[in-house]
Amino acid sequence: MTLISVEFALLWVITAILYYIFPLKYRWTVLLASSGVYYFFSGLKTGYFMLISIAVIWFVALVLDKYNENHKQYLKEHADLTRDEKKALKAKVQKKKRLVLTCGLVLCFGMLVFLKYFNFLSDQTFSILRLIGVEGKAPKHDLAFPLGISFYTLQATSYIIDVYRGKLRAEKNVAKVALFVSFFPQIVQGPIGRFGHLAHQLYEGHRFNFTQFKYGLQLFLWGLIKKLTLAEYMGVIANEIFNNYTEYKGFEILLGAMVYGVQVYADFSGGMDMVRGVAQVFGIEMAVNFERPYFAKSVSEFWRRWHITLGAWMKDYVFYPLSLSKAFSTMGKKTRKVFGAYIGKMLPTFLASFIAFFLVGVWHGSSYKYVVYGLWNSIIISGSILLEPVYKKMLEKLKINTDCFSWQLFQIFRTFILVSIGRIFSRATSLTASIEMLKNMFSEFNPWIFTDGTLYTFGLQPRQMFMVFIVILTLVVVSIMQEKGMKIRETLDKQNMIFQWLVVIGAIVFVLIYGAYGTEFSAASFVYQQF
Amino acid sequence: MKEQLMKILNELRPDVDFENETALVTDGILDSFDIVSLVGEINAEFDITVGVDELEPENFDTVAAMLDLIADLAD
Repeated sequence: MTLISVEFALLWVITAILYYIFPLKYRWTVLLASSGVYYFFSGLKTGYFMLISIAVIWFVALVLDKYNENHKQYLKEHADLTRDEKKALKAKVQKKKRLVLTCGLVLCFGMLVFLKYFNFLSDQTFSILRLIGVEGKAPKHDLAFPLGISFYTLQATSYIIDVYRGKLRAEKNVAKVALFVSFFPQIVQGPIGRFGHLAHQLYEGHRFNFTQFKYGLQLFLWGLIKKLTLAEYMGVIANEIFNNYTEYKGFEILLGAMVYGVQVYADFSGGMDMVRGVAQVFGIEMAVNFERPYFAKSVSEFWRRWHITLGAWMKDYVFYPLSLSKAFSTMGKKTRKVFGAYIGKMLPTFLASFIAFFLVGVWHGSSYKYVVYGLWNSIIISGSILLEPVYKKMLEKLKINTDCFSWQLFQIFRTFILVSIGRIFSRATSLTASIEMLKNMFSEFNPWIFTDGTLYTFGLQPRQMFMVFIVILTLVVVSIMQEKGMKIRETLDKQNMIFQWLVVIGAIVFVLIYGAYGTEFSAASFVYQQF
Repeated sequence: MKEQLMKILNELRPDVDFENETALVTDGILDSFDIVSLVGEINAEFDITVGVDELEPENFDTVAAMLDLIADLAD
């Protein structure tokens, strides 16, 4: 059952009706039942993996919470403890908590790693063994990949880490924990919610609010427009270039990378708009996953605007803990002695960023191309920080004014190109193909492909190209308005009713007429659901 | 204490008006690399340990919040 299907629409409508019929106190049970129905029709065979995760985090959180509360109680009853005694007690409790947390993390991530990477790692190990003369068949599992495991595992583990850190109290009701992990709109491609932000919204019943209901439907429609009238058409060009990369050179490759960038943005952010729209109908505000990433002026800013919930997860649970760990602090002292104050101080932070981006890369899939994709982003970010002093001197010497619109536009364009080059690694059919594509990109200078009609040879008709151009233009205008702080739906809400209806009906008709349906498109599937 | 903190902040990011900014982390003025450098300097200067648990935007959005955090951890 995918987001764009009659079955999903039916589930959404029935859930909404039942949700508002049920007493406030029990409305969360409707969401849980619907999540169960969704999983039953979408991934029943592998559902037990999710059930194991739910049971594990429920139990681990309860144990951690018990330690937290006992610790607090002990401190309350023994107010006369010295600072050193308190420190020793804290260390003792931390040790026990760490053991419990580690067990939970190993179990949750163990399932993900085994199902997602075992076959790949087994293949690679045996390829190496063959080189040294050891023969044998690589063992493999044939288990199906559970629906949404890459997303719900991160969401589930963030809960137990937050309880471990004392930020949250554990939820005693296992059914409520199950709802937090399995809430049906988010299961396939996120956003990766945090318990502190999402759970109470799921559990407390929301009264029907017509404005919120309307906003939810409008957001869903906006996502549908992005997905069906942009992502799918961009996908035709991107598929043509990436699947037949040996036939293309120079700017054709760059075009493919840029078009894929637009495709994946329209696809993923469109999907997120739809997911958030579905939840808003129930009065639930899910985490924002995109904030106009292509307006970013640097790659690091891009990652604060793109797939925000994944970036935030990596920052809070990988980058910060590593950067501030004793081991990295000790490393920093050593690297300062060897490389000097500036570089030496930054090296451990770069390493932490490197590890976080490596994980972002492999999170996408078990292939070397994803490793390089992650590392490409890390190298660009670390490199730009390292070279910042040189860069500033260059700008001063060349007397370039950096406080003007044209410079900001240049920065935006530069970031888009750098990110697009990274996308070649993630979208190419293999790492070898991506390297070949990069070589071909620099092998010919053919900017005339943008004016000599070549654009019409990638699979789209001139009429479709024009329609895509209109959608991109609309997306840019809407994004600029949002960037300036305008709230589109609130602004529309203040207009006359006739105008509001004209806009909504116009959008629906536009999707119905120009939406990408048919066998040459894959409207029902989303790029990120495969991860 | 404020003087020491302002010295660290101004050396880290001379381009930022720390006295008047009220959403240093929330608005993305300080990024994660800045935060890690800042925490390293604060730990060394005030002989405290700012842990991962304390890395919340509300603890770093303003100079006043940072001073509160330092005072809390020093106790």
